[in-house]
Amino acid sequence: MMITSTFIDIDPSQAWDEVFSAPGVPRPIYKEIVDILQNFNADDLRFRFDQLGRTFSERGVTFALGGEERPFPLDLIPRIITAIEWGGLSAGIQQRVHALEAFLNDVYGHGQCLDDGIVPRALITSSPNFCREAKGIVPENAARITVSGIDIIRDETGNFRVLEDNVRIPSGVSYVIENRRAMTQSFGSLFSHYRVHPVDEYPARLLRALRRSAPEGVRNPTVVVLTPGVHNPAYFEHVLLARLMGVELVEGSDLVVMSNNVHMRTTQGERPVHVIYRRIDDKWLDPLQFRPDSIVGVAGLVNAARAKTVTIANALGNGVADDKLLYTYVPELIRYFLGEEPLLDNVESYRLGDAESLHEVLENLEKYVVKPVDGSGGKGIVIGPQADERTLTELRAILRGNPRGFIAQRTVALSTVPTFVDNHLAPRHVDLRPFAINDGEEVWVLPGGLTRVALPKGALVVNSSQGGGSKDTWVLADETLAPTPPGAKAWTRAAAHSVAPSVNGSVRQPGPAAGSRGDQ
Amino acid sequence: MSTPGSSALLQIRHVTGFVYDGIAESSYNEARMTPLALPRQRVIDALLTVHPKALQSTYRDYFDTIVTTFDLHEAHDRLEVLAEATVETFSENPNQPSITFGSLHVAKLVDTYAEYLAPTTRTTMSTIVLDELREHVPPRDDIHETVQAVITWVRDRVTYVRGSTLVSSTAQEVWAQRQGVCQDLTHVTIALLRSLGIPSRYVSGYLHSDADASIGEMVVGESHAWVEYFCGDWVGIDPTNGSGIGVHHVIVAKGREYGDVPPLKGIYNGGPSRSLGVVVEITRVG
Amino acid sequence: MSRGMLSRLAELLYWTGRYVERADDTSRIVDAYIHRIAEDPFGDLNAACHSLFAILGMEVDASIPINQETVLTQLVYDQLNPSAITGAVLAAHENARRAREVISSEMWVCLNSTRNDLGLQRREAERVGPASYLKFVRDRSALFAGLTDATISHDETWWFLVLGRSLERIDMTARLLESRLLAAEHSPDWLTLLRAAGAMESYLRQSTGGSDPEAIAAFLILDRSFPRSAYHSLTVADRCLEDLTRAGARSDVVNQARRTIRMAQTRLEYSDPRSLLSELPELLELLEQTSAAANDQITSYYFRQIAAVVWEAEGAT
Repeated sequence: MMITSTFIDIDPSQAWDEVFSAPGVPRPIYKEIVDILQNFNADDLRFRFDQLGRTFSERGVTFALGGEERPFPLDLIPRIITAIEWGGLSAGIQQRVHALEAFLNDVYGHGQCLDDGIVPRALITSSPNFCREAKGIVPENAARITVSGIDIIRDETGNFRVLEDNVRIPSGVSYVIENRRAMTQSFGSLFSHYRVHPVDEYPARLLRALRRSAPEGVRNPTVVVLTPGVHNPAYFEHVLLARLMGVELVEGSDLVVMSNNVHMRTTQGERPVHVIYRRIDDKWLDPLQFRPDSIVGVAGLVNAARAKTVTIANALGNGVADDKLLYTYVPELIRYFLGEEPLLDNVESYRLGDAESLHEVLENLEKYVVKPVDGSGGKGIVIGPQADERTLTELRAILRGNPRGFIAQRTVALSTVPTFVDNHLAPRHVDLRPFAINDGEEVWVLPGGLTRVALPKGALVVNSSQGGGSKDTWVLADETLAPTPPGAKAWTRAAAHSVAPSVNGSVRQPGPAAGSRGDQ
Repeated sequence: MSTPGSSALLQIRHVTGFVYDGIAESSYNEARMTPLALPRQRVIDALLTVHPKALQSTYRDYFDTIVTTFDLHEAHDRLEVLAEATVETFSENPNQPSITFGSLHVAKLVDTYAEYLAPTTRTTMSTIVLDELREHVPPRDDIHETVQAVITWVRDRVTYVRGSTLVSSTAQEVWAQRQGVCQDLTHVTIALLRSLGIPSRYVSGYLHSDADASIGEMVVGESHAWVEYFCGDWVGIDPTNGSGIGVHHVIVAKGREYGDVPPLKGIYNGGPSRSLGVVVEITRVG
Repeated sequence: MSRGMLSRLAELLYWTGRYVERADDTSRIVDAYIHRIAEDPFGDLNAACHSLFAILGMEVDASIPINQETVLTQLVYDQLNPSAITGAVLAAHENARRAREVISSEMWVCLNSTRNDLGLQRREAERVGPASYLKFVRDRSALFAGLTDATISHDETWWFLVLGRSLERIDMTARLLESRLLAAEHSPDWLTLLRAAGAMESYLRQSTGGSDPEAIAAFLILDRSFPRSAYHSLTVADRCLEDLTRAGARSDVVNQARRTIRMAQTRLEYSDPRSLLSELPELLELLEQTSAAANDQITSYYFRQIAAVVWEAEGAT
């Protein structure tokens, strides 16, 4: 098979490539896509790429980078995960969420795992995200982590590993939904060659989980999405989710708490609110308990949750499980709370509070990735192999001063996927954020997730707030498995429809055959 | 002075609140003014009255403090809270067994009391002072002796002067100005004890300050603060008076520092507010 | 029965409606004055400008001279004052932006592109005269009104937009007519006012009074069917409130605003068209007060917002 100059060659010694097992040799599941792309030249690719961008702009899909609204670049080559790979991944994610749920319940309850020395108490009590106000607030359906984003990477040997746990306010699912919509509109023909799990079930699942978490005895709970407002970078997602779930999008000033009951201010008077899917961080949520200068929060909200008249999702205080230092203990938490071996490994990590680890890392700083324990959005991360000497020297001093504030990880070469850059398809590093919903009874993992691409060559930090891009993520439905569960709309092969009808001489591409899109 | 086996029956009346420049449209508040039921004190009666009237709700917070919450939505120009309680206090056995100073530094113990060993906003002290501490008060094997020595040193360096500080004053600030009230002396003591590895916590409550008052005589008392330290068990000590804790002390709440146990905190929407001050009247009735 | 929309959104829609109407009507009034000034080069420009500022509620001290330049700077192009034409357009845009999710995308695009074109239009006006800018604003307001009627459901969203538009129109019609009371000799004549209200053709078709001031005043205040007549706007506002009341669950609470509006309607119904001119000052004041009172009543009934509550920690001082 010939690969034209459209694809820039991969170097398997550098990283595991998702598409090519060796230069010019596509992996079986990507064969069809590579065949199609072979026939495109740079202009064709550019045209498709621009088309995708336009679809996004028209729908107003942007995010705010440095105060400016930008389109979030979607790359046209999807990232594919086989059914078997997905089975392993989703089981690992479910296990992880269950362990973190048990951990949070314990830490805000009896603290058994602390008494038993599984996790140092000081780690918890000194964490700025440990929310003492959350003690005594137990969610009705026992789900604290209604929505989670467990970030996954694939290492040089092709194994999936957990990079980071995000259990506070993980964002990005709106891109998953919009990416799929844009791909089916602009590149629909690709779908006819694959059976891809749809992603449009997410809002319905989320709504169901939120309703299930309502205070006991409420027959028809009112659910709202609480947003900080139009200036928030993820505002677009708040609007989309509220719309797709068919619930009201509210700001802090729309809600008022009176004697521990939460109400929404409407033109027809105050209406009770029972579940709040909040996209506001703990510190800004309630000026009575936390920052009194917060104008986006709702005074008295925490006490209302405590009085069980309202459910806050995700629960207060989840941030103590987001701590990157805590991340290094999660395999032990899985063993302790679930009595199981972890299905997904961490990236090898080192706690710099431990003298031996600190010494090893300081000696070989250029080999490690150093992350602040309480960072987000990729800020503050230093990638040893890519940092200059000055940065490393400064970092050594910082680490000596505050070792507990950092962890170090072996620099993993994240897997790569061909991405459209400079009129070519060149390998770029990716990670994956799958989204999981916990309704108290089961943890459902959205088949797909957000594959984030680091657009600069060789860059390893893949994050939307650092100028990255994304890819549509396809989880293949396995034909050999049991029939797809009710409610899941699997794409059927469009073989019978693949003859393009010609209308007035123009050829129309066959779109996805069966499944309706559900929403608008 | 209280003698072993003695007890006291105290009636407490504590009034506090806020007055607004203009009006407040609405406010949300939490009061931590209800004495705890403990082996050393029995709460016979406790009532919180709020003016203007508001529906009250109660819960126990992380530190097990009894918290009463209430919110107001009608315009008002002042908020007054009255806490009344009748408490029977018992004096404790002064011969407290104690672990050695060395055993305080065992990893398991350090882990268990991590929260009471870590500095907080109001209990941070500069290393210069901590170094000075080690010079003047070399730790002894007997924890009680060490604590006494620290308190003697604190009382030597910081004088009790009413109104000399703010509710937000830190131990470092107090040390620098060499003056403070009971809250400050407590914070300073806690900062120093923690630096020596002695887990310490802040206790807020009341003190019937006139031991010679007769039964039925109302004494203007104090909203008071003192220290509890761990020595195998939690033991109280009053750095302001340099004394132990007796039947004239009533415990309301315990935490890492004042910020965990403010008697009345809240937020409101309206003109500038200032505190109504605090009036505490204690009557020994038995 | 409607569940009621968020008060915050309702208030944003109401003000969007008001500001678009304000931009439109202010542009009409200013246009009438500029027309008047152009027609009479020997007239007292200063007096005419003063009365223009006065009727727009921005009275200027009599000792300060005003000319056309001032009118343009302060009443037309000022971006910060929401009572200036440009300021009103920007205010409408800002309100709509925060309610973007409940208006149609076409309505939003209309306001957004209007805002974006202001600079270009201004430069054009500096070349060919302010009339083009004023017409631009009126045309875009008309477009917005048309899109409001055609691209969103006539439910709460629409009622609040139209309610805002109507109350503003009542107020602005009163101001337009007030120009005949203040310094009448320096103000546009009755026919010019009629034209400014876009009423010329309708008036001529139904009237027999020619250019009789009483008939013109009666048309602009009392006519039941002309959209810019005060009475008609009162009717529209009342209908919106009726629909809102019927849709809601709060029928037990008396809707004050309806009462205010109906009282004004009744007063107008009982006025004698033949003695309208002598009653004019009283009627115009009634209209402005009605608009203001209804605004307050609607705000407290439907919106009752303590906007962006700023919390203070108690005892901070």
